[in-house]
Amino acid sequence: MVPDRPPTSSDVDPTDPAERARYLAAVMSEIDAEVRRRRASGDLPAGLEQELDELFLEFSPVGLHGKARLRETLSLVDRSAYVDIAVPVASQKMVGTYVKRLIRKSMGWYIGFIVHQIVKFAWSVSRMLHVVVDHVEDLEAAVEVQRTPPLPATVVPATDPGATWWASEAVAAVSSVKGRVLHADCGTGSLLDALVAAGLDAYGVDPVEAAVEVPVGRGLDVRAESLIDHLDVVADDALSGLVVTGSVEWLHPNERERLVRQVGSRLAVDGVLVLHSATPESWLGSTSPVISDLAPGRPLHAETWTRLLGDRGFRIDAVTYGGTDRRIDHVAPANPDAATLNAAIDAVNQSLLGPGEYLLVAVRER
Amino acid sequence: MKLAFVTPRYGTEVIGGAETAARMLAERLCQRPGWEVEVLTSCAMDHLTWANTEPPGTSVLNGVTVHRFSTASRRQLDYFDLDAKIRLAPTVVGLAEARRWVALNGPMCPGLVDAVAVTDADVVACYPYLFATTVDGIAVSPVPTVLHPAAHDEPALYLSAFRQSFRHVDGFVYHTQAERDLMEYAFGNGAKPQIVLGLGVSDPTGAGRTGGEILGLGDRPYLCYLGRVDEHKGCGMLAEYFARYKERHPGPLALAMVGPISDRAPEHPDIIATGTVSEQDKWDILAGAEVMVNPSAYESFSLVLLEAWSLDVPVLVNASCAATMEHCRRSGGGLWFESYRTFEVIVERLEADHRLRETLGVAGHRYTEQYFRWPSIIDRYTQFLEGVIARGHRRPTGAKRLVQPAGGRDYVRQG
Repeated sequence: MVPDRPPTSSDVDPTDPAERARYLAAVMSEIDAEVRRRRASGDLPAGLEQELDELFLEFSPVGLHGKARLRETLSLVDRSAYVDIAVPVASQKMVGTYVKRLIRKSMGWYIGFIVHQIVKFAWSVSRMLHVVVDHVEDLEAAVEVQRTPPLPATVVPATDPGATWWASEAVAAVSSVKGRVLHADCGTGSLLDALVAAGLDAYGVDPVEAAVEVPVGRGLDVRAESLIDHLDVVADDALSGLVVTGSVEWLHPNERERLVRQVGSRLAVDGVLVLHSATPESWLGSTSPVISDLAPGRPLHAETWTRLLGDRGFRIDAVTYGGTDRRIDHVAPANPDAATLNAAIDAVNQSLLGPGEYLLVAVRER
Repeated sequence: MKLAFVTPRYGTEVIGGAETAARMLAERLCQRPGWEVEVLTSCAMDHLTWANTEPPGTSVLNGVTVHRFSTASRRQLDYFDLDAKIRLAPTVVGLAEARRWVALNGPMCPGLVDAVAVTDADVVACYPYLFATTVDGIAVSPVPTVLHPAAHDEPALYLSAFRQSFRHVDGFVYHTQAERDLMEYAFGNGAKPQIVLGLGVSDPTGAGRTGGEILGLGDRPYLCYLGRVDEHKGCGMLAEYFARYKERHPGPLALAMVGPISDRAPEHPDIIATGTVSEQDKWDILAGAEVMVNPSAYESFSLVLLEAWSLDVPVLVNASCAATMEHCRRSGGGLWFESYRTFEVIVERLEADHRLRETLGVAGHRYTEQYFRWPSIIDRYTQFLEGVIARGHRRPTGAKRLVQPAGGRDYVRQG
């Protein structure tokens, strides 16, 4: 039973990463609440608080990385928008101070004219950026409401694809490629072991961090991230082979479209794609209720993948069906109602049952 | 197997930073049976001037063979003009200008690059990304080449010269996941062989004195900062935040800033800036600290966090530093501040709650033991290098060495 109160230090088992994370989150949440309370109380003069916050921002890496916080970057712009006309005149030599003051006084009208225009321009830009940021934040809020939440990685059991009916066929399909082969979602890395054992330069990704620790511990190159996130940071034509299993079955249609686009560019020409999926007919029966309920998408038929990949320049080399076949056998012809019953069974088999899984092998042609 | 490290500087006098990390790896790896390690580096120790202060030639330092080569020039003043210019919009700087920036950043070391071109090592490891020795080393290496970028989010990272150069790297070795994320974002190198290795922490070697005795604080509690006392490391901010904290919370709490002082020591009656201390004193001071604070936003690893945790001391870090945040989140061994307000509330809470300090310290300790002890680090590193060597190396086609910038006025270090 999970306690509903925030954990205290005596609750924490340092060997349990989830418990440590929960404790840390609880402590930081208490600290944030206290910070908000004090801000509201106004116990620190506003000017001083701003000055101290600006000191923090001065040496913060804000604005370079794409995920930088908009408001912080904007405050940097605001701070830089004012140009001080009062040039410092302090000098180590007495005459230096005098000379500098003289120059400042004599040049003041000129510098003032230029600075006035610069500040005016900077403030216009700053105002415009404030409007843009407001709009972006409104958009983000609107998009968030419509967003389909991804399937939580924690509900997906660790897989052992190396022990499946299709593992040897997947290895054979990519065995002749020269270059990097990616396996996603690689789970505990059993198929990755087989790919490496076959002499392939293979690595893997899996969104479940706990699963990844197992193959990493064996010295395999495995990263804890989703296939789509990973392909975002892979250069075009960098992969010679791609084995896709697992989450491809429940991708949201938009993500599936994105994946197909990515695969069509990250995989080199003549690169081999191996895709394993449950069949739509077997999906509800073979998947846990939690996954089938929360999944943002559903498996596609092999024919649909064939169509999608064909449009992206892939040639389909093979589609193999396997796994648990849940089709119902015909009743014996001796049964007086055999014809009627078997027709009904055929209809049920065709629309609801059938082979549980398939493996599709495609080659990028252009 | 033979590994050749290529670093701009090398030596025990180089405090902190990536070059020290390279030395730590080299010294541990050369003790591993079956591995031979050599270092190709410059005769310079000062990264601001690149003045040749060490004699060229071969020497042995802590078991590692070190080949030093003279720099062709000192840092020129032109560097600062170009640096200011590229900082505004690094992604749009042209390739020629970006390569000129790398050459001006130096050190330009033609003898070193010639030596890389004819190395008999099985693998070359360049460390860190920012310098001319790395870009030239990658361009001429005849054997598989790995890069330890030691990168953080700074304008130079986005220069096209690095993008072009890193295409020819055969493997990447990162300090943290945050560094890997940053490099993948900047270079799209996700498909390249890579490993998040980090660094190992050694066993504490304190002499058993109390930190209060060394610092002259007696029994007073203290926070501790460990490293170069430098404005860019956030030390000015830390001193200012601490001074404000003391104004609002009078009491015995002090701040010890332990390490060489780059700019000037903060002046406050409750702040003690020790300057450089012995290794034993460092550990003893750290062991007695209530909390170790690392205010720097620009860390690619932060070994001092692991050193604090190896003594069960909790840490407080800058929330805008991806690397130290990652350590804290993964370990549960530290908290983070993103404003004076959060700094104040956290220090107040840590000062008062010894159970919290203990819980964080123990969690950090466990994390350090699990991931950052040298034997397992070296096991993983050698396994990775063997994989890179086995994959082989395709000599970069069209990769050119940097051009020595035309003679300009030398930069002279102030003070």
